[in-house]
Amino acid sequence: MSHLWERLLEAKSRLAPVQSKYRVLFENPAEPDAPAAVLVPDPNWMAAALEGNILPPIDTYLRDRDVPDGQPKEHPYAEPIGAMTEEEAIEYLIQKDIPPQVWRDYQGNRSVLKIVPVELIPSDRSFRNAWKINQTEMEMAA
Amino acid sequence: MSTLSVSNITDGTDTVETGYVVNGSAKAWVNMNGTGTIAIRDSLNVASLTDNGTGDYQINISSAMSSSNYYVGESGALNTTTEIRHYDTLTRTTTAVQIQCRDNNGNDFYDTAYAGVSIHGDLA
Repeated sequence: MSHLWERLLEAKSRLAPVQSKYRVLFENPAEPDAPAAVLVPDPNWMAAALEGNILPPIDTYLRDRDVPDGQPKEHPYAEPIGAMTEEEAIEYLIQKDIPPQVWRDYQGNRSVLKIVPVELIPSDRSFRNAWKINQTEMEMAA
Repeated sequence: MSTLSVSNITDGTDTVETGYVVNGSAKAWVNMNGTGTIAIRDSLNVASLTDNGTGDYQINISSAMSSSNYYVGESGALNTTTEIRHYDTLTRTTTAVQIQCRDNNGNDFYDTAYAGVSIHGDLA
């Protein structure tokens, strides 16, 4: 099995990048004073996810979180998974790149994670450090 | 994918060990627009970008580094004529690195229109 980095390199040379139509807004309950963060999928990564047979299963990343620095990790040589839809790819990214206390462990009654169309993210960043997830159904997400 | 297995590369005059080429290549890099609707222009081995706030971004790597002792190079510009001079590298794990863009004095945070990050080191 080739290394994940080699597969990504080969995919970049072959696949056209895909700008996702989604963003993921989240607030980390461990940092209540921090503004809402926005997860932006990488276009080359998204192209690889939609193509299939490049990225490893998400559970290999989750197990590798507990592997100490310098020790061999599982995900680079894991058998790649098949093609995902864009929505499945976003769910994969949430588990990979957002802390588990946001998407798995949080039990409060605030919405701390929302998948939104990119148009709902304000492009005016004048008050970026005051952004919070809108808890009501309104036009803008933050 | 076919593999070329050689110890040295030469142009007929100068010779270099392939280890230098492999170790010296960036294992991940990204060129992004940190203003307006944040977007990644191009990249290698990056899964996503987290916009934490003004001038505060996290690069999430797809194929992890072997340890967190890798090198991070950053550059950026507010626009086509104004350079950002001060970067801080904060949280650093084998799969993510957080950077903050500040002014020359290291005080105020700035969103960066042209930001580049490259990561050098050993892959996991």
